[in-house]
Amino acid sequence: MFLLITIGILTFTALVLSFLRFALPTFRFSWLTAAGGALLAWVSMFFWQAGMPARLQFPLWQPESIFRQSPSFVADGTSWAFAFSLVTICVGVIVTSVARENFPGILGWVGTLALTALGVLAVTADNPLTLVLLWTAMDLTEFVAQMRFVQEPRLSERAVISFASRVTGILILLWAGMVSASKGAELDFLSPPPQAGLYFIIAAAFRLGIVPLHLPYASESSFRRGFGTILRAVSAGSSLILLARTPLSGVETPLTPYLILLVAAAALYGGWMWLRSPDELAGRPFWLIGMGALAVASALRGNPLGATAWGCALMLSGSALFLVSAESRWQDKALLIGAWGVSSLPFSLTASGWISSSGRFWYAVPLLIAAQVMLLAGYIRMSRRPLPHAGFENQPIWAKNVYPFGIHIILLTSLLLGWFGWDGARQSGNWVAALFASLLTFGLLRLAVRVRILNPVRAHWVRSAEAAWLDAVYHTIWEGYRTLRRLIALFSSALEGESGVMWTLLFLVLFITFLIQGSP
Amino acid sequence: MNAPVIWIIFPAALALLLMLTQNKRLLSLSGGAIAALLAVAAQFVPMEEAFRIGSMSIRIESSLSILGRQLIIQPSEGPLLALLYGAAALWFFGAEASQSAPKFVPLGFLINALMIASIAVEPFLYAALFIEMVVLLSIPLVTSLYSPPGKGVTRFLIYQTLAMPFILLSGWLLAGVEASPGNLTLAAQSATVLGLGFAFLLSIFPLYHWMPMLLEEAPPFAAGFLLWILPTATLVFGAGFMDRYSWLRNSPELTVVLRSAGLLMLATGGVWAAFQNHLGRIMAYGVIAETGFALLSLSLDLRLGIPIFFLLFPARALGLTIWSLALNIIKAHVPSLRYSQVRGALRKFPFAVAGMVLASLSTSGLPLLAGFPPRLALWDSLARASSDAALWVGVGALGLFTASFRMLAVTSMSDEYSGWEVGENWLQAIMLGLGVIGLFILGVFPQTVQYFLAALPSMFEHLGH
Repeated sequence: MFLLITIGILTFTALVLSFLRFALPTFRFSWLTAAGGALLAWVSMFFWQAGMPARLQFPLWQPESIFRQSPSFVADGTSWAFAFSLVTICVGVIVTSVARENFPGILGWVGTLALTALGVLAVTADNPLTLVLLWTAMDLTEFVAQMRFVQEPRLSERAVISFASRVTGILILLWAGMVSASKGAELDFLSPPPQAGLYFIIAAAFRLGIVPLHLPYASESSFRRGFGTILRAVSAGSSLILLARTPLSGVETPLTPYLILLVAAAALYGGWMWLRSPDELAGRPFWLIGMGALAVASALRGNPLGATAWGCALMLSGSALFLVSAESRWQDKALLIGAWGVSSLPFSLTASGWISSSGRFWYAVPLLIAAQVMLLAGYIRMSRRPLPHAGFENQPIWAKNVYPFGIHIILLTSLLLGWFGWDGARQSGNWVAALFASLLTFGLLRLAVRVRILNPVRAHWVRSAEAAWLDAVYHTIWEGYRTLRRLIALFSSALEGESGVMWTLLFLVLFITFLIQGSP
Repeated sequence: MNAPVIWIIFPAALALLLMLTQNKRLLSLSGGAIAALLAVAAQFVPMEEAFRIGSMSIRIESSLSILGRQLIIQPSEGPLLALLYGAAALWFFGAEASQSAPKFVPLGFLINALMIASIAVEPFLYAALFIEMVVLLSIPLVTSLYSPPGKGVTRFLIYQTLAMPFILLSGWLLAGVEASPGNLTLAAQSATVLGLGFAFLLSIFPLYHWMPMLLEEAPPFAAGFLLWILPTATLVFGAGFMDRYSWLRNSPELTVVLRSAGLLMLATGGVWAAFQNHLGRIMAYGVIAETGFALLSLSLDLRLGIPIFFLLFPARALGLTIWSLALNIIKAHVPSLRYSQVRGALRKFPFAVAGMVLASLSTSGLPLLAGFPPRLALWDSLARASSDAALWVGVGALGLFTASFRMLAVTSMSDEYSGWEVGENWLQAIMLGLGVIGLFILGVFPQTVQYFLAALPSMFEHLGH
C-alpha cells in the first residue's frame, strides 16, 4: 500500500505542476512544489520498511484461460533499494536545478517526477509482464520528453534510435517468455529456465541506455545534466532490477563462462574509457557500461545482491557526480562518499559486490577488479576537477544555499544503503578484494600524474573515435538492409507489374505444392 | 419484429436514404449514432424472447425468409453484431474528421449490412453473392469520378471476384460431402476449392499484392475501412465452416494449412513492411500481418484459439481506424505518402503522426497498446505448440517494429529546424486523441472488452468449447 502512496505523491505533484504551468504561468512557487513533492515521496519510502514484503495485484487480465500473468508488484528489500535510489535522485535533480541555466524548467520537473514514478513501479514489478508494460511506459514518456526538448532536427534520429534499442530489450524479454513457454513453463523471476535467464541478461544490457552513447541534447545542455541524469538513472535502475531478480539457476548454461569473459571485457572497456574521459558527462555512457557490466557479472556469478549493490551505486554515486554543476563548499570532499559507495569496502553500499558463495568464474575476478579500479580512479579524479562555471549569477539568492542539499541527499542515501533497509546492508563482504581494489586505485591515481596515457583525452577526440566505429557498424547494417530492400522491391514489382496476376497464380501453385509436400 | 430486418434490411434502407444527404457533419454524426444504437441493441436486446416496452410486448424473431432462402441471426450472434456495428460507428464518427463522409457513410452502412447478411444467409453459398455485392459497392468508395481507377482497384476487383466461383463450387461439393461423408476424394476436393475461395477472399499470400497498391492510390480512410470489414467478416464466415463440418474441424491438415498461411502472412507482411518507403503501403502490410495473426489463432487448440481470435478484433478495428484517419489527414497536406514527402511531418501534424505510429506499434504488438494482449496470448500458446512457429512470429513482429521505427524516424527528422505546429483541426485532434486513449485502455486492461467478447464463442456450436 505504501508503494501506492509514493507513486501517488510523485504523480500528484507532476499533475499539479502541469496544471500550474498552463493555468498559472506566473506562479512563483513551482520549484517549491516540485521539491516538496519529491521530498515527501522520499520520506514516504521509509514507511515501506514497516510492511515488507508487500504485494499489490492489479485486476486480472481476462480471459484467464489465455493470460497466464497479470500486472502485479512487490515491495521487498531489493526493490526498496532501487526505488529509494531513484526517488533520491529525483529529489537531487529537482533541488540542484536551481543552479542550472534553464531554471525554472517546470516541464523538466514534470518529466522527472513522472519518470521516477514509472521507474519506482518498474523496479517493483513482480513478473516479466509487469516489467515490459512499465518499460514501455517509460520509453514512451522518455521519447515524448526527448522530442519535446530536442532543438536540432538531426538529433531526433538519436531519440528514435534510443527508443528502438530499448524496445529491442523489451522484445528480448518477451522472447525469454516464449523460450520458457516452449519448455512448457511459465516465465517468472523466481525460477526462470536457464535459457531464459540468459535472455534476461541480454535484455538488461539493451535497456541499460547506452545506445546511442549520448543523449540527443547539445553537449553542454542543462537538460543533459538534469533531466538526462534521471533518464539514465531510471533506465539503468529499471533494467538492472532484472539482474537483481535473476537467481543462479537462471544463468547456469554452457554459454555462461564465455559470457562472463565478454562482460569482463565490457567492464574493462567502460572503465578505461571512463578513466580517460574529459569530463563526467562525456564519460557517462562508459560509467554505465562499466558499472552495468560489474552488475551483470555479479548476476552471472550467482550473486543477485551484488547486482543490486552495483546497480544502486551506478545510480547514486554516478548521479551525485553528474548533477554537480556549480562550486560549493566541501563539495569535492563530499563526493568522496560517492567513491566510498563504489569501493566495495565493508559496510559500503557495494560491500556485497564481490561475494560469491560458489566461487564460480574466479578467473574473471581480476579483470573485473581492474575495471572497478579504473572506474573508481576516474570517479575520484572527476570529483576533484575544477568546475568551468559557477552557475549562480542569474539564480535567486537562496539557490546557493539550497543547491548542495541536492548533492548531499544522494550521497547520504548511498551511505545509508550500506547500513539499512535491504539484504545487502551491513555486509563486510569480500574485504580482501575490496582492499586490493582500493590500494590499486590509489596507486593508479598516483601513477596518473606521471603517465600520460592514464590522463583524459580531449573531448573532440573521444567523439570522433566513437563515431568511427559506430559509423562502420551503421554502414554495414545499412548496406545489408539496402541489399534486402532491393530484393524485396524486385519481388514486389514482379507481383504488382503488368504480368502480376500470372506471377501471383504461379506463386500460389508453388505455395500449395509446398503445403502438400510437408508441414512447417 | 425480426433480427435480419433490424440489423440488415433497416441499415441497408437507411444507407439509401443517407445517400440523399449532403451535409457531411450530419451524415457522420447520424451514421455514427445509428450504428452505435444498433450495436447497443444487438448487445442488450434479447432475441427469441418476449420483452415489454411500456404496454407493448415485443419478440424479435431470429430468421427471415426471402425467396426461399433464409437470413438467420442467432441470439448468440448478438455480440458479433455489436462488435461490427460498434466498430462501424467508430469509422462513421471518424468520417467527418477524415472529410470523406458524403460517400463513405451510406456505402459503409450498406457494406456492413451486406457483410452481416453474408454471415447470416442459408444456404451459405449465397454468401458469395453478398460478398461480390460488397466488392462492387466498394469500387465507388475507393475511386473518384475525376480520375480513372488505378491498378490496385482493378486487382482488388479481380482477386475478390475470383473468390466467388470457388465459394459457389465448394457449396455444391460440400452438399455432396454431406450426402456421402465417407467419400474422402470428394471431401479433399471440396476442402481444396473452399481453401482457394478463402485464399482469395482473405488475400492469403501471394494474393495480397492488391492491398499495398490500393493504399498507394485510394483514400486511406476508405481503403482502411474495406481492409477492416472484409477480412473480419470473412474470418468469422470461415470459422463458421470449421464449426459446421466436423471432418474439416478435426482434420490435422487444416491446422497445418492455417498455421503455414498465417505464418507466411505474418512473416512476409512484417518483413515487407520493414522495407517500404510509403506510409500507405506499410499500413497495407500491417493489415496483412493482422490477418496472419487471426489465422494463427485458428490453428491453435481452439479452446485457446477462439478467445484469442475474438480478442484480436477490437484491437484491429480501433488500430485501423486510427491509422487510416491519421494517414488521410497527412495525405491531405502532402503530395504523396512517400517518405521523401513526409519528412518532418511530426512537428506539423503531431496528432496524426502520433496516431499513425502508435497504431502501427499496436499492430506490431508493443506492450501497453491494444494489440499487445492478444498477440502475447497468441505467441505464448503458439510457442507451447511449436517453437519454430513462435520464431517466425518473432520475425514478423520484428519487421513490423522496424517499419514503425522507420516511420517514426522519417517523420521526426527534417533538414532544418521547425517549431511545433498543430496542423490538424480540433475535431481531428480529438478523434485521434480519443482513439489513442482507447488503444492504451485496451492494452493495459484487456478485460474491459470481455463484457462483449466473453459470449462470442457461444455463437459456434463446437469451436472453443
